[in-house]
Amino acid sequence: MLEPVKLADFFTVFFSAASVILFGASYALVFAWSRVRNRPRLMPLAYAAYVGLFVSVIVLAFAANLFNNTFWTVIVMLMLIGYLLAPHAIWYLCVGTHADELEDGHADTSAAGAAPAKIFQQR
Amino acid sequence: MSQTQALWWASESFWRKTAIWVTAGSFVVLIFLTFDTVKQITAGGKRVPAYSVINNRIDYVFDEKRNFQVPVIGPEEPLFGKKLTEEEAAALVSHGKLTTQAKNCMNCHTLLGNGSYYAPDLTKSWLDQSWGSKEVREQQMVEFLMNPQDRLHNALGRKMPNLGITEAEARATVAFLKWMSSIDTNGFPYNFKPIDQADAAPAVEAAPASDPAAAAPVQQ
Amino acid sequence: MAALGTLSTANLNGGQKLAVKYFTVAVALFGAQVLFGLLAGIQYLNPDFLFGILDFSVNRMLHINAMVVWLLFGFIGSVYWMLEDEAGVPVVGLGLGNLIFWIFTLAVVVVVLVYLLVQVGPGELKSIWLINEGREYIEAPRWADIGIVVCVLVFFYNVASTFMKGKFSGIAGVLVMDLVALAGIYLAGMYYTPNISMDQHWWWWVIHLWVEATWEVLVGCLMAYGLIKTMGVRRKIVETWLYIEVALMFGSGILGLGHHYFWIGTPEYWFTIGGFFSALEPIPLVAMVVHAVFDAGHHKLKSTNNPALAWIIAQAFGNFFGAGVWGFMHTLPQINLYTHGTQWTASHGHLAFFGAYATMVIAFFYMALQKWRGGVYMSGNLVGAWKWKWAIFLLHAGMIAMVMGLLVAGYEQSQIERAIGGSDWVAYFAGQSHRWFMQGMFWRMVGGWTFAAGFVLLAWDLMTIGKRETRPALAVQAEAAAA
Ligand code: HEM
Ligand code: HEM
Ligand SMILES: [Fe+2]
Repeated sequence: MLEPVKLADFFTVFFSAASVILFGASYALVFAWSRVRNRPRLMPLAYAAYVGLFVSVIVLAFAANLFNNTFWTVIVMLMLIGYLLAPHAIWYLCVGTHADELEDGHADTSAAGAAPAKIFQQR
Repeated sequence: MSQTQALWWASESFWRKTAIWVTAGSFVVLIFLTFDTVKQITAGGKRVPAYSVINNRIDYVFDEKRNFQVPVIGPEEPLFGKKLTEEEAAALVSHGKLTTQAKNCMNCHTLLGNGSYYAPDLTKSWLDQSWGSKEVREQQMVEFLMNPQDRLHNALGRKMPNLGITEAEARATVAFLKWMSSIDTNGFPYNFKPIDQADAAPAVEAAPASDPAAAAPVQQ
Repeated sequence: MAALGTLSTANLNGGQKLAVKYFTVAVALFGAQVLFGLLAGIQYLNPDFLFGILDFSVNRMLHINAMVVWLLFGFIGSVYWMLEDEAGVPVVGLGLGNLIFWIFTLAVVVVVLVYLLVQVGPGELKSIWLINEGREYIEAPRWADIGIVVCVLVFFYNVASTFMKGKFSGIAGVLVMDLVALAGIYLAGMYYTPNISMDQHWWWWVIHLWVEATWEVLVGCLMAYGLIKTMGVRRKIVETWLYIEVALMFGSGILGLGHHYFWIGTPEYWFTIGGFFSALEPIPLVAMVVHAVFDAGHHKLKSTNNPALAWIIAQAFGNFFGAGVWGFMHTLPQINLYTHGTQWTASHGHLAFFGAYATMVIAFFYMALQKWRGGVYMSGNLVGAWKWKWAIFLLHAGMIAMVMGLLVAGYEQSQIERAIGGSDWVAYFAGQSHRWFMQGMFWRMVGGWTFAAGFVLLAWDLMTIGKRETRPALAVQAEAAAA
C-alpha cells in the first residue's frame, strides 16, 4: 500500500506537493481574472499554470512512488482531470449564481460588469 | 423579473439540497467506518492487544508482506517479573494512562505522534535503546520518571521537570508505555531500531552513551 | 445619543451589547495566548528559563487553550452581533445569555488559575475532573467541560429561538445546524479510556471535525453576513454560495478525518480514505479564490469599513495557504509518515489557525467598533489609519517568519530524526541540536516578538480607532437598492 519515500527524494516530495496547490491556485486565479476582466490574452498564462500543476503532480507521483499502486495512480489521474475542470465549473457557477443580478441592468456597465454577462448570454 | 429561467445547477434550492445530501451521506459513511474502526481498536483485538500483553516480550520487526515494521508479541516476559491477570494488567495500565494525563505528558511529548514537540515521541519508548539493556530497562524507567530533573538528557540542556510521580505511578506508567508499544501503528515510527531483547545476549552495550550530543537518560 | 466617535452601548442592540463583552474577553485571552506562546518559544532556546516554575508543558497548555477559548468567545460574540439584525427581532432570553457570559468567563479564570498554580495532580480520575485532562486542546477539566456544554446549550437556545421567533434566513439555517454539530462533537471528547488508540480516535473527532468542518462553516456564515454588511452583496447570491461551500467543505472535510487515522492503531483502509479526501480538501478553497476574483472584478470594491475588509481578505488568503497549501503538503500518508508530529505540524497549525480563524474574528472586532462608536467613518484616509495598517502588517510578518522558521526546522527534523534516525531518543535529540533546527527556533522567536508587537498595536488600535473621527460611515451600497 505504501512505499516509503527515498531520502534523496525528500525535498522533491515536499516541494512538488506545495507546487501542486500553488499552481492550482494560480491557474484558477488567472483563469478567473482573464474572464472577469475580459482579457483573453491572459488565458495562455492560466494554462501555463495548469501545465505547471501537471508537471508537479507527475513529479510528486514519481517521488512518492504513487505509480506503483493502482489506487494511487487513479488518485493522480483524478487530480489531473479534477483540477483542470474545477475552475471552469466554478466559473460557470459564478456566472450562473449571479445571473439575474446581471440582467437587472446593474448600474455598473463597465467592462468589468459586462464581461460575465456577455459570456452568460453566449451560452 | 428576470426572463431567463434560473439555471437549475446554479440555483439556491439545488445547492441547499446538495449540501444536505452531501453532508448526510458523508456522515453516514463515517458512522459505518467508525463502527468498524472502533471494533478493530478495542483492546484485545489484533491491532490493539489486550492489556495482559505486558506479560510478554514485545518487539518491532520488519514485515515483508506489509512492507513496514510491526509489533511482534514474543515469549512470556512479565513486567517487573510478576505475571498479572487480565484484570490486574488492565488496572495497572489504566493507572499509568491516568498518570500520563494528570501529569500532562502530552504537552511536551507526542504519543502515537500526537501532542507536543518539545520532547521525544513515546510510542516506542519501551523499546528505546537508550534505556541501556533489557535487564536494567524497567528499573531505569521507574527511576527516571521519579527523578528526571537532575539527569542530563542531552547537550541542549533540555530537561524533564519533576512532576511528583510516585513509585506506584511510575511503575504503572511503564506498564502503559509497554502496552502502547504493542499497538499496530502501520509502521510509525519508520526505521526505528529497537533495543536488543534476544535471550542469549550477554553483550549489553547497546546505548551509544559515548556520544555527548545524544547522551541517554541513563547517564547520571 | 452619544456623539459620533464616542464609545457608547446606546449605539448597540441587545445582542450586540452582549457581543462586545465577549469580544473584550476574547482580546484579553488573545493577549494571554501570545504571552504564553512567547514563554514556550523562549524555552526552546533557553531550557532553563522558568524551569520548575512554569514548565514548557504549562506554558504550552495555556497557549493553546487560550487560543481555543478566545476564538470560541470571538465566534459566540460574532453570532450575537449579527443575531438581531439577521432575525429582525430582539434576542430571546438575553438575560440568561448575559448570566451565562459571566459564568463562562469566571469558569475560564478558575481553570487558568488552576493550570498556573496547581499544574499537575496525582494519577487518578480526580485529577481529570478537577485539574486538567492532559489531552491536547481539550485539557479543560471535566467539570469545566460540563460547564462549557451548558453554556453552549444556552447560547444555542438564544440563537435558535431568536431565529424561530423572527426571520429564519438561509444563513440562520446553516448556522443553527452547524452549532448543533459543533456542540455534539465536543461530547466525543468527554470520556476517559485507558486505551490510547480509542482516546485519540475520538479526540480527532473533536479537533478535526471542529477545525476542518464545523468551524469552517461557522466562519462561512460570518463571512456571508460580513459580505452583505460591508459590501452590500446580494443575499440570494451569498446564501447560494454558502450552500456551495457547505457541500464542498463537508463533502471533503468529514471523511478527510482519515488523514489523522494513519498511525494511531486504526485500520489500513484509512490510508485510502484519508489520501483521497485530503486530495479533495483544497477544492473548496480554490472555489473561494475563483469566486472572490469574480466578485472583486464585478462589484466595485468600495467598502464602508476598510480594516474589516482588509481582515476579511486576509482570511481568504490565510485559509488558502494555511489549510490548503500547508495542509496538503503533509497530508499524503507517504509524506506524513515522516512529518507526523514534527515542527512541520506546528508550522501548519499556526498558519491555519491564524489565517482561517483569528483573522475572521478580528474582522468582526472592527465591524463592532464602528457601530459601537455610533457608525463612525472607517474608509480611506481614516484618522490614525497607520495603526491598523501597521498592526495587520506586523501580525502577518511575524506569523510568516514563525511559520517559515518552523517549516525549515520541520524539514530538517523529518529527515534527520525520522527518516535517518528512526525516531528514537537519540535521533530526536540529533534532530533538535541540528543547526537548521536551532536557526528555525531563533527565527520563530524573531517572528514571535514581531507578532507580539503587532498584537500590542492591534489592541491599542481597537481601543482608539475612530475616536477622533467625526465623519459618519459611508452608506452600504446595497445591490438590491440599485436594482
Ligand atoms: C482551517 C483549517 C485547519 C486548521 C485550523 C488546522 C489545524 C491543524 C492543527 C492545529 C494540527 C495539529 C494538531 C496536533 O496538535 O496534533 C493539524 C494537523 C493536521 N492537519 Fe490541519 N488544519 C486545517 C486544515 C487542514 C487541511 C485542509 C488539511 C489537508 C489538506 C490538513 C491536514 C492536516 C494533517 C495531515 C495534520 C496531521 C499532522 C500530523 O500528522 O502531525 N489540515 N491541523
Ligand atoms: C507570539 C507568537 C507565538 C509564539 C511565540 C508561539 C509559540 C508556540 C510554541 C512554542 C508552541 C509549542 C510547539 C511545540 O509543541 O513544539 C506553539 C503551539 C501552537 N500554537 Fe503558537 N505561538 C504564537 C502564536 C500563535 C498564534 C497567533 C496561533 C493561532 C492563532 C498559535 C497557535 C498554536 C497552535 C495551534 C499550536 C499547537 C500546534 C501543534 O500542536 O501542532 N500560536 N506555539
Ligand atoms: Fe485534519
